[in-house]
Amino acid sequence: MKYTEKKNITGAEALLSSLINQGVKTVFGYPGGSITPVYDRLQDYPELRHLLTRHEQGAVHAAQGYARVSNRTGVCMATSGPGATNLLTGIADAMLDSTPVVCIAAQVPSTALGTDFFQEADMINMTVPITKWNYQITRFDEIVPTLAKAFYIAASGRPGPVYIEVTKDALLERGDYKWEPCTGIRSYNPVPAVDADAVQEALTLINDAERPLILVGNGVKISGAEEAVIRLAEAGNIPVAATLMGLSCIPSGHPLNIGMVGMHGNVAGNRMTQEADLLVAIGMRFSDRVTGNLNTYAPKAKVIHIEIDPVEIDKNVRTDLAIVADAREAVEAILGAGAIIRKSRAEWFEAAERYAAEERERVIDRQLRPERDTLTMGETVAAVARQTAGEAVIVTDVGQHQMMAARYSAYKHTRSLITSGGLGTMGYGLPAAIGAKVALDEEATAREGRPARGREVVVFLGDGGFQMTMQELGTMLHWGIPVKVVVLNNSFLGMVRQWQQLFMGKRYNATELVNPDFVKIAEAYGIPAQRITRREELGEAVETLLKTEGPCFIEVIVGKEDNVFPMVPGGASLDDLLYSE
Amino acid sequence: MAPIKNTDTTVREYIITVFTENQVGVLGRITSIFTRRKINIESLKVSETPVKGISMFTIHAFTTEDMACRILSGIERIIEVLRADKYRTDEFTAQQIALYKVSPELFRKGGDACLREHNARVIEINPAYVVLERTGAKEEIDALRDYLSGSGMLMQFTHSENIVLHDASVENALNEIAGRGSYLGD
Repeated sequence: MKYTEKKNITGAEALLSSLINQGVKTVFGYPGGSITPVYDRLQDYPELRHLLTRHEQGAVHAAQGYARVSNRTGVCMATSGPGATNLLTGIADAMLDSTPVVCIAAQVPSTALGTDFFQEADMINMTVPITKWNYQITRFDEIVPTLAKAFYIAASGRPGPVYIEVTKDALLERGDYKWEPCTGIRSYNPVPAVDADAVQEALTLINDAERPLILVGNGVKISGAEEAVIRLAEAGNIPVAATLMGLSCIPSGHPLNIGMVGMHGNVAGNRMTQEADLLVAIGMRFSDRVTGNLNTYAPKAKVIHIEIDPVEIDKNVRTDLAIVADAREAVEAILGAGAIIRKSRAEWFEAAERYAAEERERVIDRQLRPERDTLTMGETVAAVARQTAGEAVIVTDVGQHQMMAARYSAYKHTRSLITSGGLGTMGYGLPAAIGAKVALDEEATAREGRPARGREVVVFLGDGGFQMTMQELGTMLHWGIPVKVVVLNNSFLGMVRQWQQLFMGKRYNATELVNPDFVKIAEAYGIPAQRITRREELGEAVETLLKTEGPCFIEVIVGKEDNVFPMVPGGASLDDLLYSE
Repeated sequence: MAPIKNTDTTVREYIITVFTENQVGVLGRITSIFTRRKINIESLKVSETPVKGISMFTIHAFTTEDMACRILSGIERIIEVLRADKYRTDEFTAQQIALYKVSPELFRKGGDACLREHNARVIEINPAYVVLERTGAKEEIDALRDYLSGSGMLMQFTHSENIVLHDASVENALNEIAGRGSYLGD
C-alpha cells in the first residue's frame, strides 16, 4: 500500500492509485478514446509499468500468462467498444482455466450510456457469463471499493476473471481518495472450511484402497498444494497422474508420477483410471477431455473429489466423497487425520511400468527416434526439454504442438506449463509467454534487488495459432522481452487435419495453410531467427535459442501429416485408446 | 462401483428462490444461467424482502432434477447471491392473484352465485364495468377466466405469477443474512 489518502484527484488517478495499492507492478494494455484520462495520468505513476501490446487480445492473454506463472493477479486495460470486445476471448479463457485477471476498460460517458455513442459496446452484459464478477463504475466514489473488491474476488476461492469498466466522466471526476482494502463480502464465502468428518472418511477410503490413483489438476497449483500432494502420495505409495492443466505440479522425474490423463494423455494414466478402485481427484473438474465417455469412465473406482468450487461436485461424475475446500488445506487435513497405510502395490506399479513400456514402444519411440528424415514435433520438444533440463517454463498455443509440448516436456518446478486448457484458444501462446516472462523477471528482480532475469520461457506455437497473434512479436521487440519462440510448422491446422484424417475419411477441408516466411517476419521484428529442416541442425539451433541474450525464434519444419497419439477419440471410452492411424 | 451419474430425464416443475444483494446486474447473471442451458423461465418475481437491501427472486421453470441442481449451484456461485433453494411442486404452496374486469351485466345473470362458486370478490363497481379479484392456484384462476370468457362477460384479465410459501427456514435464513453485517464485510 502506498497511497492512503489523496485530496482532489481525478477518477483516473484514483484508479491508478488503487492498482498500486493492490500491489500491481505491471499492466498490459492498449489505449483509445475513452481511456485517455487514464493514459494521461499513467506517467505520474512510474511505479506502475505499462506494457503496450499490439492488440487487446494480446494484453489479456499476457495478463493470463503473468497470473498463471506467478499465482498473482494479472491486469490488463483497454478502451471502450472494440478495445473491450477484443478482451472477450481472453476473459472467457481465464474463466475456464480459473485464472485471476482484472480487466479494466473505459466506457463512454454515463450520460451517453445506451445511445450507441461512438465506441460504445454493452460489455457488462457481454461479460456476464464469462466473468466471476463484473461492475460498471459511473462515479468517482465507486472506484476505491470496486477496485478493492475486484482484486479480492479475482484471486480468492476459485480464481477467475473480473471485468471492471469505468465511464469516461467518472475517470475525469475529481474527489478525495481514501484507500480501504476489501477483506470480505458477506454473500461470498471463497474458502469453505474443511469438513473433519469427510477428511476422516477420505483417510479410511485411501487406506482401504488397493489400486488408488491420485489425479491432480490446476487447483493444486492455485492453492499451493504440490508439496502436500507429494507427501500424501509418498505416504500411501500412490501413483499420481495429472490433467493437462495439472501438469508440472509434480516433477516429471518423481517416481510416483505416471504422466498425464485424458484425450492425449499417457497410456498408464488412462488405463489405470479404468482399473483403479479409488480416484483421489484434487483440484480438477473431470472435464470431457479428461474423462472421455462418462458412462464407461473409471468403472471400478470410488471417487474422492477435493475441490473448492461446489459447482464441480457431481457435475460430470458421481462423487462418493466430496471435500469442498482449498486443496492444500484439505490434503494437509487428510495427512493430519491419522496414519496413512503404506502398501507396496507391486502389481499396481508393475501395471504402470507395463503401460509405460507399451507407450514407449508404440508411440514415444516413433516420435523421439523416427526412422525418417523429416523432424517430428516430439523430438523438437524433447530437445528443448533436454537442453533446459526441465528448468524452463513451457508455454503453448493450441493444437497438435500443444499436446506434443505437454507430453514431451520435462518439468522440474510447479507452474511450468502455461496452456489454454478449457477454452482451447488459438493465439493464446505468444502473448501468454510474454506475460509469463514479465512475471518471472519481475520476481527475479524483486528477489535479487537489482534488474535480473527469471527462468527461461519457451513457447511452442503451431503455424496456425502463431498467425492469430503474431503481431505480439512487436511487444517483444518494443519491451525487449526475451521469450524463446519455437514454431512447429507442418503447414496445416494440424489437430483439425488429424480429426479430418481419422474421423472424416481424410477429407481435408480448410486446414492446409499457405504460409509466409516466418523467419523473415521474426527478423523484421529484429528477432534473431532461423529455420530448421534437418535433424542434425536441431541440437545446435536449440542451443542458440537458449543462449541468445534477448528474444530468439526458430521455425522447425515437421512432418506435414504427423498425428498426436495415443488418442481417445472425442466421446469414446478411455478403454478405446488409439495408438496409430 | 462406477461413478456414473443418475440420469433421470423426467422433466418436472421447479420453483427456485434466490436471496441476493439488491445490486444492478444480478437479474442478468441469474437469467444467463438458465438461457445458456436453453431452459425457459416460465415466471419470475423480484421484490425486496423485509430485510432492507436484500431482494428475493422467485423463478418458475420446467427441467430435470440434474439440471435443476446445476442451475442452483450456478446461481449460488454468483457473488451477490446470499442463498438459493429449489423446490418441486409437492414441496411448496403456490398461489396467484388475478383481476377480472367484467361487464356489469354479469350480476343480472346470477353473478352472486358465480362469485361464491369461484371464491371471488368484487373490488370495484361502476356503471361501465365491475372488477373481481380471486386468489388461488393457477387452475382455479384459469377456471374463473374460462367461465367468464365463455359467458361473454370478460372484458380484461390479468394475474400475478406464483407467490410461493415454502419451509419456514427461509425466514430464519433471512434473519441470519441480516446479521452478517454490511455488504462488503464488517
